Amino acid sequence: MLAVGAACATPPKPRELEVYDVLRQNNQARLPDISKRSPDLVAEAERRSGAAHDEWQSNDLDECRANALLAQIKLKTAIALYDQDQLKAQIQSLSSQESHAQEELAGLSKDLASEQEKLALLQKYVDARKTAEADKAQAMTEQQKAQAEQEKLSQQLAAEQKIATAQLAMRTADTVEAAQYAKADYTAATDLLAKAQSALKASDFTSAQAAADAAKRSADLAAAAAKPQYEQAEESSQNKARNEALARDAPTIPGVKVRIDPRGDLQRLVIVVPELFTKREPNIAAGHDMVLDGIAGLLKKYPNYPVQVIGYTDNRGRSTELIALSAARAQAVYSALAERGVDTKRLMVSGLGGEEPFTDNRSSAGRAKNNRVEIVFLYH
Amino acid sequence: MTKRKGSWRGAVVALALGTALTGRAFAGEEDDLQRQIDTQKSSVVDLERLDELKAVGDEIALLRSWLDEAWNLRAKHEYDQVRDVLDRALKQEDLIRAKIIVSKLRAQEQRHEAALKDLNNRIARTRKALQDTVDKKKAIERTNS
Repeated sequence: MLAVGAACATPPKPRELEVYDVLRQNNQARLPDISKRSPDLVAEAERRSGAAHDEWQSNDLDECRANALLAQIKLKTAIALYDQDQLKAQIQSLSSQESHAQEELAGLSKDLASEQEKLALLQKYVDARKTAEADKAQAMTEQQKAQAEQEKLSQQLAAEQKIATAQLAMRTADTVEAAQYAKADYTAATDLLAKAQSALKASDFTSAQAAADAAKRSADLAAAAAKPQYEQAEESSQNKARNEALARDAPTIPGVKVRIDPRGDLQRLVIVVPELFTKREPNIAAGHDMVLDGIAGLLKKYPNYPVQVIGYTDNRGRSTELIALSAARAQAVYSALAERGVDTKRLMVSGLGGEEPFTDNRSSAGRAKNNRVEIVFLYH
Repeated sequence: MTKRKGSWRGAVVALALGTALTGRAFAGEEDDLQRQIDTQKSSVVDLERLDELKAVGDEIALLRSWLDEAWNLRAKHEYDQVRDVLDRALKQEDLIRAKIIVSKLRAQEQRHEAALKDLNNRIARTRKALQDTVDKKKAIERTNS
C-alpha cells in the first residue's frame, strides 16, 4: 500500500515549471498588455504551462519539463516583444523630448547670445563713458594747469613789463641826472628795482610787480625833482655850446669882421659889415648879396638870439643927421634880411651915427670903415 | 516444396530489402538532424556576435546545452526527442534575437536618456547664465541711469 501510495504521490515541482510560474508571477501586472501585444505567444505559453502542470500532477516529469521550457520560451519571447515596443515608444518619446530640449536650448542659447551681446555693448558704452569722463577730467585738469601756467606767465610778463617800465623810468631819470639832483628818490628807485628783479628771479611775480611799481614811482619822483635843476644846468651848457658854435660860424661870412664885446652880464657877438653904402647913401650898394645872404643864413641857423642891427657913420656932419643916416642904413639891412626870410621879430634896428667909431676918422680909409652896420647877437 | 522454398526466399529478399530501405531511411533522417544541429550551432555563433552587449549569455549557454543534448540524442537515435529539442532550440533562438533587440533598444534608450539629461543640464546652465546676464545688465543700467 505504501509503495502504491508513494507511487501516486505528487512529485516535487520541476525547476523548469517553477521558473515559469515565477516568471509569470513577476509579470502578472503587465500580462494583459503583453497578451494584447502577442496573443498567440501568451496563449501558447498558457497552454503549455497548463499541460506541464497536468503532467507534473500525473508524474510525467519529462513531458512536464519540456512543456514548461516551451512555456518559458513563449512567455519570455512575448515579454521581449512587449519590451521592444515599450522601449521603441520610450525612445521615440525621448527623441521627441530631445528635439524639444534642443530647440529650447537653441532658443535659450540665442537669447543668451543676444543678452550677452547687449551686455557687452552696454559694458562697452559704460567703459566708453567712463573713459570719456576720465578724459574730460584730465582735460579739465590740463586746462586748469594750462590756465595756471598762463596766469603765471601773465604775471611774469606783467612783472617783466613793470620792471621794464621802471627801468625806463630810471633811464628817464638818468637823462636828467637824477642820481645827482634827486639822490634819495633815485637810490630808493634803484633799490626797489633790484628788489623787483630778485623777486622776478624767485618767481614771486606779485612782489616783483609791487616793487617795480614802487621803483617806477620813485624814479618818476626823482626825475621830476631833478628835472628843473638838470634843465637849468643843461640849458646853461647848451647855450654855452651854441654861443661857441655861433662864434665859430660868424667869421665864415665873407667880408665881415667879428668880435666879442661883453657888456656887464651880457655877452655880445658883433659882426661888423663895412662898405655896404657909398658916401651918404642910405641904401645898400649893389654887389653885397653874398654877405647879406651869409648874415641871413647865420640868423636863421641861430634863431633864438635877440639881434640888434645897428647903423654907424663917420663923424663928418651933424650928429642928428648922422644918426638918421645910420638908422636908415640899419633899416635898409633889416629890410634886406627880411627879404631873405629872416624872422624880423627878434631884430632890433637902431642908428648910432658917429658914435663908437670902429677906427680913426682922420683918414678916408678909416672913415669908410666907420660907415658900417653891425649885427649884434646878444646872450648871457 | 519448391513453391514453399521460393516463397521463403521471396520473404527473405523482401525482408532484406525492407531492412535495407529502413536503414537508408534512418541514415537519411540522422543526416538531416545533424545538418539541422550544425545549422543551429552556426546560428549560435551568429547570435553571440550579435550579442554585443553580452545581455543574453545565459540564454545562449542554455541553447548550446540543448544543442549538445540534441547531438547526444541523435547519437542514441532518439530522433523524435532530437526533433523536440531542435524545435525548442529554434524557439529559443527567436527568444534570444528578441532579447538582443531589447538589449540594444535599452542601450539606445539609455543613450537617449543620458543625452536628454545632458541637454536638460545645458538648458539649466544656459537659463542660469541668461538670468545672470539679464541681472548684470539691469544692475549696470541701474548704476549708470
